[in-house]
Amino acid sequence: MIQLRNVSKIYPNGARALVDVNLKIDKGEFVFLVGPSGAGKSTLIKLFYRDETPTRGQVQINGKNLVRMKEREVPYLRRSIGVIFQDFKLLPNKTVQENVAFALEVIGVSRKEVRTRTSNMLELVGLAGKENAFPTELSGGEQQRVCVARAIINNPALLVADEPTGNLDPETAWGIMDLLFNINKRGTTVVMATHARAIVNKMQKRVIAIENGRVARDEEMGGYGYDV
Amino acid sequence: MTFNFPRYILRETGHSMKRNPWLSIASVLTVMVSLIILGFSIFFLANATNVAQSFESQLEIAAFVKDDATADQVQTLQSRIQGMTGVSSVTIVTKEQALANFGKTMGGSQSNLVTDLGGTNPFPDKLTIKATNPQDVENLASAIQALPEIDIVRYGQGYVDKLLQFTKWLRWIGFGVVGAFTVASVVLISINVKMNVFSKRREIQIMKLVGASNGFIRWPFLIEGLTLGLLGGGLAALTVGMGYNWITMYVQSTLTFLPVVRNIVLFRQVLGGLLLAGMAMGAVGSGVSLQKFLHS
Repeated sequence: MIQLRNVSKIYPNGARALVDVNLKIDKGEFVFLVGPSGAGKSTLIKLFYRDETPTRGQVQINGKNLVRMKEREVPYLRRSIGVIFQDFKLLPNKTVQENVAFALEVIGVSRKEVRTRTSNMLELVGLAGKENAFPTELSGGEQQRVCVARAIINNPALLVADEPTGNLDPETAWGIMDLLFNINKRGTTVVMATHARAIVNKMQKRVIAIENGRVARDEEMGGYGYDV
Repeated sequence: MTFNFPRYILRETGHSMKRNPWLSIASVLTVMVSLIILGFSIFFLANATNVAQSFESQLEIAAFVKDDATADQVQTLQSRIQGMTGVSSVTIVTKEQALANFGKTMGGSQSNLVTDLGGTNPFPDKLTIKATNPQDVENLASAIQALPEIDIVRYGQGYVDKLLQFTKWLRWIGFGVVGAFTVASVVLISINVKMNVFSKRREIQIMKLVGASNGFIRWPFLIEGLTLGLLGGGLAALTVGMGYNWITMYVQSTLTFLPVVRNIVLFRQVLGGLLLAGMAMGAVGSGVSLQKFLHS
């Protein structure tokens, strides 16, 4: 599903975000990415949906080489990947319903189907009744759930989440985790960067720790680590 | 039912304009104001050219034939001058006609006039010559003066040069005004379109991250630009059309000596041009500025 070979990323300002990373994540896995802030988790995640390209090394997603990928193929890659962004990236001039619907519209789903699927999805993430609100009228947690809804609505092969529970109270956070877990059970590969120790420790999934741009630890059924 | 892309585009365009009403109004106003100025400047050019032309068309050469020339000789003279390069028309005003004209302006009757003038007609035969190109008047006049049968040539010596200078400047000023306002309106509108697209760069970025293809993002923006441009152009055409109509009617009734252009073909062309210009600048401008964000 995901394969990184000798990947390094150096930003134009000279910051070495990733150094010689080798990584393999199989289809259907559920992986936590942990590590201190600024360790390179977000950069690593951005490589998956080609928001960034590596300075050196190769990135393969679903058998496709992202380094050699042409500009016009990128939209198709992104449609097979759901992304829960750290800053939500909601369209400010669209309502909640329209934001979620957008992910279906780009792949050409009919209007009728868009309507039923989005209302089901909003129900699922607990946003029923907020369909016509604009993002600015929502709380942080609600915006995050809109983002989650948009990311998972077209059953992506890969779901990438950058701190999807960061702004949520524990109860809602667990609700989101249930969603991700269920999606994973239906075959979607999930990679989630997080600082939520309790969640990582409880779920007992594969944990990859990133420190200073390198893979510091990679264990099946791991814990959060970094215990005080 | 499958996905209906044209319908999606229209819906997106409508939403976008409705949800950024101030941005939309600002765009329409920018296009409108720029094109109103441009439209009026085009009519200014048309009128400047028209005034210049009407001044120039009044330039003519009067060649008085020597007294002893026969009617046949005058006829031959006419065809000879007609044959000279640069001559557009030669008309004969015979001494009898000249006398009659004189009589008319005096308000008397012709028969009395001859006797009143001492039994002879003092007017010579006259040829009135118009040049194809007003610049040639001076050269033509001296060429005609050189003909043996010609007594005297008059063509407004001295003031022809000044008049031609004036009409030349009038034309240049007309073109200058149109040129300057064309550049100004293109710059204004493109700055506006750029700002419009720039304000949506985050939206464009997000759409790309969610997997929208460039075409999917581009079309609603293009149609929005086109619609706003069309609205601005339409309002400009309306304002210019009514405004110009009113101004020319006013000028015609008060400054009757000033020739004004009231040409329905030109009228339609200018107004249609404004409409098209607004539409094209809206759409092309959006497309060009969008391209930069789509490929970043």
